[in-house]
Amino acid sequence: MEKNRIIELFEKDQERKGKYFMPFLTAGDPTINQFKKLVKAIEPYSDILEIGIPFSDPIADGPTIQEANQRAFEAGINTKVALEAIKEIRKGTGKPIVILTYYNILIQGAETIEDALNMIFKKMKESGVDGIVIGDLPIEEAGLTLKACEKHDICLIFLIAPSTTNDRLEKILKVSRGFIYLISVMGVTGARENVAQITKNIIKKVKQKTKEILPVLVGFGISQPKHVRTIIEAGADGVIIGSAIINIIKKNLNDHEKMEADVIDFASSIKKAMKEAN
Amino acid sequence: MDYIDKYPDKLGKFGEFGGMFAPEILMPALNELIEAYEKHVCDERFMNELNQILKDYSGRPTPLYFAKRYSEFIGCKVYLKREDLNHGGAHKINNVMGQALLAKKMGKTKLVAETGAGQHGFATAIAGAYFGMPTKVFMGEVDIKRQAYNVYRMQLLGTEVVPVKSGSKTLKDAVNEGLRYWISNLQDTHYLMGSVVGPHPYPLIVRDFQRIIGKEIKEQIIKLENKLPNAIIACIGGGSNAIGAFYEFIDDDAIQLIGVEAAGKGKETNKHSIALGLGRRGVLHGAMQYLLQNEYGNIIETHSISAGLDYPGVGPEHCHLKELSRLKVGEANDNETLEAFKNLSQIEGIIPALESAHALAYLEKNRKDFSTLDIVIVNLSGSGSKDLSIVAEHVDFKIKPKNLLL
Ligand SMILES: Cc1ncc(COP(=O)(O)O)c(C=O)c1O
Repeated sequence: MEKNRIIELFEKDQERKGKYFMPFLTAGDPTINQFKKLVKAIEPYSDILEIGIPFSDPIADGPTIQEANQRAFEAGINTKVALEAIKEIRKGTGKPIVILTYYNILIQGAETIEDALNMIFKKMKESGVDGIVIGDLPIEEAGLTLKACEKHDICLIFLIAPSTTNDRLEKILKVSRGFIYLISVMGVTGARENVAQITKNIIKKVKQKTKEILPVLVGFGISQPKHVRTIIEAGADGVIIGSAIINIIKKNLNDHEKMEADVIDFASSIKKAMKEAN
Repeated sequence: MDYIDKYPDKLGKFGEFGGMFAPEILMPALNELIEAYEKHVCDERFMNELNQILKDYSGRPTPLYFAKRYSEFIGCKVYLKREDLNHGGAHKINNVMGQALLAKKMGKTKLVAETGAGQHGFATAIAGAYFGMPTKVFMGEVDIKRQAYNVYRMQLLGTEVVPVKSGSKTLKDAVNEGLRYWISNLQDTHYLMGSVVGPHPYPLIVRDFQRIIGKEIKEQIIKLENKLPNAIIACIGGGSNAIGAFYEFIDDDAIQLIGVEAAGKGKETNKHSIALGLGRRGVLHGAMQYLLQNEYGNIIETHSISAGLDYPGVGPEHCHLKELSRLKVGEANDNETLEAFKNLSQIEGIIPALESAHALAYLEKNRKDFSTLDIVIVNLSGSGSKDLSIVAEHVDFKIKPKNLLL
């Protein structure tokens, strides 16, 4: 089996000197084809690619990603179509690919949940997926998923929130593989104007615990290069940006070329801010 | 059966159903709620305080009424548990007063809730006013249109009604938005779940606050008939009035427990809400349950003439009871329900909620299952005054009231 690209990426950087950018796109937004083009456009500026498989009822997502899901559904997205698209994307990149979805999407098509999970992770692995974030799967419910992920060499990436207590944090770190997805605010996904003090505090707290064990990537609300600087300078290993990119898609629904160009501009400004941060 | 107080387990599981499939950000708040439940709800003093409120403020115990003329019409002894006579016109008050009191003890100062029919929203608005807690209620735009009367009532009580424009713009989307709002306001806000759905501990907490229905039924029927009923029938949306009515009787296998789902425009049409009867196992709103979903796991739109039953899922405990073959699952469609609505109104002078009329419709359809001396209790979960404008679109009388909708 090929080595997991997330593990490989961070093994090369044991001292955590690198800064990582993980942009998020919803599979099928605004169309299946344009989505593939956008991934291709953003790939050179990213270190890890995060791709959402939409769920009809995403309780951790704000209006921006909900609307992206809606466009994707209208474009005919489903798990099968999304994984076919990812398989194609995989041919053009060696970078890690992480899926973001909700649990119900993963437990379909078999009598038992165990079988369903094994089936879907096997398919994901074959499509070139390296990791998965599940929006509504806390560690308490993750037993079967952990097993299936391990079997198919996919990193199950857990979320940590500002509300996560210390003893939960310990438990989460114990089972996490790949990296930690740190939620920067007490809220749902969506672009925000400022980086809150709570974000800086939580980054420091979590980094202290994770040390060199696991890199910490910070997401939710980050929308501008200056946010990236603040987050990196607070000690994070990287940033995750979704809604801000989706807003660019939304703004340019009638002009796909400009959409691509603006996404590239934005991604390069983020990459630049990451380099300048210290 | 040896069932009572055995479920859920520590992780909130009723067999393979239920659980805590919630975003990490909510987990500490849910754990806080579990602790508060153990500390307060399991304490007799808390329940005494709550029961006193329900007695003084809501008029409990509600009557168990022998419906003489309706019994003749059906052909067995029909008793109606008059939850419609509660303050607010539905069983919802039992749950909201309990949760609001619990929220107060937890130091929360605000309430947020979802609503479909507006009944739970209205009940939450009542609790908000009673306890002096600012209240927000999320409600789908489609429901706002079909339940304008309840929207007005909520606002009158000082509650902010927030229209939900996402998804199908009905109850499930109102839950989504309510939970999103809660995620951003965990510090001072309690999410007041309206039925035995959602992540643990909600199905447990709501059930325990609704158990009073069945406890009263047991006492009352023994007093009236000196024996237990042959069957209890209740409608199932999320399942709170049903579990409340059923729970005390679960261990007694001789008593049939029948939950009635909304068949909407018909089983074959895809325009129904038969989650227990036709759904597949899946996860929505934090719990494993039977769901109406497509092959990829996306939730499909449901339909019922009653907004309170228009939900693609169902409480995890009902799923478990169905698996154990302890719960009989029935259904009634829109037309059968309207017929029962009219029948009870004209035969007994009681206008039932459209939700409750599903339970009556089941009995009317299946009256042959019961013999003259059988005792059947129907949980009349609510009053139909909220439904008049909907019913007026379907049931024709000679004189049409013009401005039914205020
Ligand atoms: C009168 C009435 N009955 C029943 C229901 C359905 O809820 P549940 O199944 O939780 O009792 C509602 C919901 O709004 C209602 O208003």
